Amino acid sequence: MGNLMKTEWYKLRKDRSFRFLTWILIGIAVLFPLLEFDNGSSGLPTVKAYYLDNVLGVHANIVKLLPSILAGFFISSEYSMGTMKSIASSGNSRLRIYFAKLMIFSIGTIIISLILPIVMTGVSSIYFGFQDMPEWTFYLQTTGLIILYGAAFASIMAVFSILFTDSGKTIGFLLMFFIFVDWPLQVLAARVPFFEPILNHSIFKLVYDIIIVNRLESSDVLSLVVVPIVTFIAFGVIGSFIFQRKEIK
Amino acid sequence: MNEYILKTNRLSKKYHNKMALNKVSMAIKKGAIYGFIGQNGAGKSTLIRLITGLGNPTTGTFELFGENNERMIIEARKRIGTIIEGPALYPQMTAAENLEAHRLLKGIPGKDCVENTLALVGLQDTGKKKAKDFSLGMKQRLGLAIALLGDPEFLILDEPINGLDPMGVVEVRELLKKLNKEYGITILVSSHILSELHLLATHYGIIHNGELLEQLSAKELNEKCQQYLHIKVDNPTKATTIIESHLSTQEFEVMPDGIIKLFAYVDVPGKVSKVLTNEGLVIEEFMPKGEDLESFFSNRIGGVQHG
Repeated sequence: MGNLMKTEWYKLRKDRSFRFLTWILIGIAVLFPLLEFDNGSSGLPTVKAYYLDNVLGVHANIVKLLPSILAGFFISSEYSMGTMKSIASSGNSRLRIYFAKLMIFSIGTIIISLILPIVMTGVSSIYFGFQDMPEWTFYLQTTGLIILYGAAFASIMAVFSILFTDSGKTIGFLLMFFIFVDWPLQVLAARVPFFEPILNHSIFKLVYDIIIVNRLESSDVLSLVVVPIVTFIAFGVIGSFIFQRKEIK
Repeated sequence: MNEYILKTNRLSKKYHNKMALNKVSMAIKKGAIYGFIGQNGAGKSTLIRLITGLGNPTTGTFELFGENNERMIIEARKRIGTIIEGPALYPQMTAAENLEAHRLLKGIPGKDCVENTLALVGLQDTGKKKAKDFSLGMKQRLGLAIALLGDPEFLILDEPINGLDPMGVVEVRELLKKLNKEYGITILVSSHILSELHLLATHYGIIHNGELLEQLSAKELNEKCQQYLHIKVDNPTKATTIIESHLSTQEFEVMPDGIIKLFAYVDVPGKVSKVLTNEGLVIEEFMPKGEDLESFFSNRIGGVQHG
């Protein structure tokens, strides 16, 4: 498992899509707050307000959409390049191969997801001043939850990435899926009463509650933490089950 | 010690309604270079895919390094190097980076093996050039380098000389021979370039429509592909006496229909015909014959061979 993890980490560091997404997000994190200097009479926002509106306000889309691109290139393209064949025949079990891939892909997703919360908050503090910062507890809670939800979404993406053996199909499907999934899920929940609590306790719905974590009851906070962990494990098991039976072409 | 590196027992693979592999029982001895011959779609790659764990057999079993338990077979795969349906490369990485990724995968300590293996296949000077910019031949060499990483005991090479220039073909052939002779590496090599296999293999397996038609050693194949003079005369008995006395050879065979197969003097047929006519024999048929590897293969699969 250690060798597989080292290999996947090496490949992630060399992955062009990962590097591209990382640098683009760092660029956005550094440049985007500069737009606030053009606000005229309303003046500069506080870092706390900026963190809520511009970092946590968009993080759900970052967590759901950008790693879809990484999933296509980091996982599915292993099939088209033929390298999945050498991994599968390397003397490691499919279970280990899948979980090593999933773990490193999740780390990649988490890194991408954390760039704005860390870099943008840091840069905006330099630009706007350190006087009204987000509370440390709230900041650590939200970044912790972003890590958990990043890993949970990554586990769903990994399942589709091993089903599709082409990076283009994977990226196209995942982007469409995550852009439009909320609407049919809400319709389904409205029509099928049984489905409503499931949706309400799914990562698709709970990811939007991260921003209000400081206002939630402790039982809600518990489900906000437990659901992505359960999702990660469940989709990890489903993905490994599929991968173990898959013919690698 | 196990004499066989690989033994399959009635191994079958069915895709939808088509039998891609049908009860194949083959055996590869330790130290052999096993040439796997078959047309496109004959089942060569299917068999290789099953052995390397890319697919599961529908029925049948196989032993790898004497192991037939699934868990132990997975472990045994650490002792093999593969090229399956073309080299598996990361196009955005350099040759050294590709090898480094595979070194980490195989858990080989130390980075020296990367440079040594690159030198072995003649890719030590590719520097920062990405694998995507390599020629087909260079990609094949890099694929071979990846297969050789970690000193495998068994190499499984599916069409390893595809895309190589003539010099490259010779180099790869010599390299494989060297690996086999000096390091005792057993090699399973599939190719549709029969003449090339003939220069390399010590054993052959002929597969057609998913069925293993024949397994034979190079010695047996050479005997079957031997060139001879096909001679039909009015008096075969007298002819054999003349051949023995005048040409001083017993390298001939008389067939039930009286045809004489003369395995000597194949390159000087004029001398043979002159001796026979001088002794008053009437020659009815006289021609050089014998199967080359391609016609042997063609005859076994019962039709025209398509590369």
